[in-house]
Order: sequence, then C-alpha cells, then structure tokens
Amino acid sequence: MRRDAIGEGTWTKGVLLALALAFVALFLALPLASVLVQAFSAGIAAYVSALADPDTISAIELTLLVALISVSLNVVFGVIAAWCVARFAFPGKSLLVTLIDLPFSVSPVVAGLVQVLLFGLHGWLGPLLQDFDIRIIFALPGMVLATMFVTLPFVARELIPLMQAQGAEEEEAAISLGASGWQMFLRVTLPNLRWGLLYGVLLCNARAMGEFGAVSVVSGHIRGLTNTIPLQVEMLFDDYQVQAAFAVASLLALLALVTLAAKLLLEWRLADELAAVRQSR
Amino acid sequence: MTPEIHILGVSKRFGAHLALDNVDLDVQRGELLALLGPSGSGKTTLLRIIAGLEAADCGLVLFGGEDTQLRHVRERRVGFVFQHYALFRHMTVFENVAFGLRVRPRPQRLPRAEIAARVRKLLELVQLGWLADRYPSQLSGGQRQRVALARALAIEPRVMLLDEPFGALDAKVRKELRRWLRQLHEDVRVTSVFVTHDQEEALELADRVVVMSAGRIEQVGTPAEVYASPTNAFVHEFLGDTNRLECRVECGCVLLPDGIVLGRVEAAAGAAVLYVRPQDIAVMPTVGGSGEVRHVHAVGPLARLLVQLGATAVEVAVPAEICAGLGIARGGRVSVTVRAGMLFPQQAREGLPLTPLAECGAPFSTLLKQERGEDVCCSLARA
Repeated sequence: MRRDAIGEGTWTKGVLLALALAFVALFLALPLASVLVQAFSAGIAAYVSALADPDTISAIELTLLVALISVSLNVVFGVIAAWCVARFAFPGKSLLVTLIDLPFSVSPVVAGLVQVLLFGLHGWLGPLLQDFDIRIIFALPGMVLATMFVTLPFVARELIPLMQAQGAEEEEAAISLGASGWQMFLRVTLPNLRWGLLYGVLLCNARAMGEFGAVSVVSGHIRGLTNTIPLQVEMLFDDYQVQAAFAVASLLALLALVTLAAKLLLEWRLADELAAVRQSR
Repeated sequence: MTPEIHILGVSKRFGAHLALDNVDLDVQRGELLALLGPSGSGKTTLLRIIAGLEAADCGLVLFGGEDTQLRHVRERRVGFVFQHYALFRHMTVFENVAFGLRVRPRPQRLPRAEIAARVRKLLELVQLGWLADRYPSQLSGGQRQRVALARALAIEPRVMLLDEPFGALDAKVRKELRRWLRQLHEDVRVTSVFVTHDQEEALELADRVVVMSAGRIEQVGTPAEVYASPTNAFVHEFLGDTNRLECRVECGCVLLPDGIVLGRVEAAAGAAVLYVRPQDIAVMPTVGGSGEVRHVHAVGPLARLLVQLGATAVEVAVPAEICAGLGIARGGRVSVTVRAGMLFPQQAREGLPLTPLAECGAPFSTLLKQERGEDVCCSLARA
C-alpha cells in the first residue's frame, strides 16, 4: 500500500472525509433543505401568495435599496482605502488596516446600538438632527449606516492584497506615457482590480442583504416601511405564520446559493489573475 | 553643445538611507549611457528621478537646458522601460503600444487610423507585428521586453530610460537582445540611459559608462577608459576580474607581506592595496619558482590558474593554448611576473600604475633573485 509522508493510511483518510461530510450535511445541507420543505409545505400557491404580500414586497424592495446604497458606498470606500494602504507610506497605516477589520470583531447589535446612541432622539446628535427635521434612526439612513458598518471590510480586504501584489509599476508606466490621473485609474487600475472588486461586492452584497442584528436595532420594525427581508422573516415567524416565514426565508437561501455559485466562478478567475501577476514578475 | 540631460547636485534620502549624494551628470544628445553599480548604489533612484517618478530632495534636473521641476512626469516625454516591463496585462500588445497615443488630450490626439498605422510600424520595428493581438501573459520575456520598448517609443520620447532592461531574462536571450538593442539605438538615435549591475552588459552596450557606488558617481568614461584606467579602487574591483593584493611599499618596491617583490612604484612607503587583473600576470614553469600552481581550470579560450605565491593566492588567466604549450599543470612551480597593475596606497583615493619589474630591463635570472630578497630590490630601485 502506498503511504505518503503525512497521511496515516487509507482508513484515516476515509474516517476524516466521512466526518467532514457529516458536518456539512448536518449543519449546512439539512437546514437548507428544511427551509425549502417548510416553504413549500402548504403548496406552491401558498408560497407565491406569501411572497406577494405587500409587506413582504416592500421588505424586498427596501432590502434591495439598502444593499444598493451600502454596497456602492462600500466600493468607493474600499477602493480608496486599498489605494491608500497599497500605494502610500504613512504613519498609522497598520492601524488603518486593523480598524478596517473592526466590524468583524464587533457584534452587529453593538454596531446598531452605537447608531442609536449617536443619532437617536436622546443621542448626541439627535436634537441637532431634529432641528433640521432629519430622521436617521427608524428610517432608511440609519439602516444604511448600520449595514455600512457591518460590511465595511469586505471590499477593502479583497483589494488590499491584490493591489499590493500587482504593485504600482503599471500605473507609473501609464503616467509616464502621458495618462492623466483619471485615465490611469479608469484604463489601468480599475481593469486590473475588476475580479477582486467583483468578489468583494459579491460578499458585501450577501452580507448586506442578510444582515439582521445591526439593522434590527435601528429599523424600529415598522411593517411595510422599515422591514428588510430578515426582519420580515422574524416578524412572520413571531406571528406564528411559519410557512410564510420560511417562504420569505427561502429568498435568502436562494441568494446564498447564487452567491456561492458566483463566488466559485470568481475565485477561479481571481486565481488566474494572481497567477498571471506572479508569472509576469 | 548643451547636454540633453543636465543633472546638478541631486540628493535623495529614504529615511536614514542616503540613496543619492550630491550627484552631477551630463547626458549628451543621442548617446547610450549606462548607470553601472552594485545593488543599493542609487542607480535606479537616479533613473527614476530623471523620469520624474521620484522627486529629488535637492538639486536640479535640466532637459535641454529647461528645468523639469515644474513639469509633471506625463509632460516630460520620457520613455520609461520598467525592469518587469509593467505591460498592461488586460490589453493586447497592440493596445499596449497604442496607449500613449490614445491618452493624449483630444486636440493633440491623432486620428484612429493614424494611431493604428503608427502602432503597426513600431511593432514592425521591434519585429513583433505578428503578435499584435496577443496578451502579455502569452509572450516570452524577450518579447515582453520588446513590447515595452515599442510602447515607450510610441510617444516619441526625447529620452529613453531603461531600468535593468535585461535583468529578468536568461543568459542567451539577454545576449541576443543586447545586440538588438544596440542596433535599435543606432537606428532610432534617441538619447538613452539604462541601469545595470552587469559590468559586461554596460561595457558592451554603452557609449559611456557611469560607475556608481553608495549614492555617488565613482567614474564616468567610455567603456575602454573605465576598464583600462579606473580612477579608484572601487571601480577597479567592480569592473572585470581582479586580484586584490594586500602589500606594502618599501623604497620604491611593491612587496607582498612575505617579501615577494611584485613591481616598482613612485610612492611613499607604507601599506597599500595592489589590483592586478588575471590576464596581467605572466607565469613560466621554472624549477624553484616562487609560485605553486594549485588549480587549473581550462574550459574555453582562457585557462584560469590559481597560483599560490607565498601566503597569497592569485588568479591568473592565460590563453588556453599557451597554458597547454608551456605544460603548466597542477602542483608545478612557476615564476610569476606582474605585467601591469594599479596600486592604491592606504591614504590616497587616486591609484598609481605599477611599473613591472621586467621593464626595468633586468634579465630573467635576476628577477628570480629579486623575488627572494629585499636588498636586491633596493639596489635595483637605486639604479
């Protein structure tokens, strides 16, 4: 029997593989299947009517809007932050990189509470905002802010290593050939980042649409007004509308599957891109 | 004639490291100049400052008499070829070469057809017309290098700057491309500066060589000048193979620590370092000779010998057929004659040429005696 240096033999391999597959089945596949089973438990008609509910439709619209705004802002921030980190030397650079990761280690609920503390009626900036009749908490801006906080690292974290690996030479070449700053950015920098950027946007979007904790604190759960899909699911479930809750939840499950497929595809492209960088060194 | 590039008192510091220390340099119109030095000598920094990719801490860079300080990189019309080529990886070869023409402000931009015609012509010039639709990742290193050259030439630069143009290529391609680049320079005649750490490359390719070390220019001259008469110890050691021999000067004679006489010199007594190129040492099989052949490496046109001379080992290069004809073999005794060398007394920066013993007119037998005793040497010096 062939033995390699690390593997203990075929039976160890078999046991480990079985364990890993069992975990995946128990914790990922089974819940996903049960979501779909529950969603269609009362038939397709009930499934469709649950989704056609006006409150649900408004929740879907709001989710798309929040995701659109926060992902766009995130792209802008991510590109700027990655540019700073990868292209400039400045004091506090490693602090910036650490801070970008902060949302990963802070509970989303805390993030939401901070928004309330800042912009709420009794918060630091609350009275000032009220004077100008601007509503942030229990309204769209608050939900966007909360989502932004939670998703902040996604784009920047993808772009920083990519830009560092690619180096600044192509950009310098563009400038020395007479390109303006914008021409360089649009014709050289951005095309080189496209796959990494798309990957970051994908992860960012999945998180933005699925975010519960932070948004829950700032939304105020106003039916048909400030409910996103995850909040709508919770509310339906609390109202004992289990089938409807799972029908809406199946949308999020679907989003997860689509994200997964797109992620696979992108990882494939991104690996090619990085291999090309290494090859050209 | 005003020089194309005039560099005056340029210094550059990166943190605590002084990369360039008060550098002055002129580059003449149409010449091919090499910046040669070990890594960390500041040559790439100087090139990047000329291009405007880096700003000097102090000093001036003039292009045709005009201060470049106020001119942005994109207005300097320098063609910069990067060490790793920095081709735009998502563009075809054609698009890469066309880039500089396409990003011009609208009033100066050529019509599409004219841009295409010019790109085709440049690709023909670098013999890559057939690869126009390929992507950089599909090209070999040498082809990428030529695309980078065509791309830089497209903007009709007044100066071409090349950073280690052959650094990333294997030895065979490197030699071919070197000859090809020389030919290209003859054809195009653009003032060009290239950076290299390879002395062979600099000496073969350049009209003039600038030898740099530790942020300073050590010597500027034609390849023949810097090779034949290095002005200081660094240049001598850096250019070509050389033996570095610790020795001392006594009454006009240069002696190894154990008293073996190597030649004469007009210098004050004291410790000194003698540089001798391997081909400037002659050996002759002699019974009781002062040297012992420790190793013979006879591959190629030159045989390389390692000869033990007292406590010192010296490298000697002899044409292979002479080595075979004389029957020099490992373990044999030989007499050793230094035919030329450069002596650097401890305190002086300037070197002194060594006067060979053979030129004193002394017969071969006396030479042997001289090698054995200092008294003979001193009497010879007095003569």
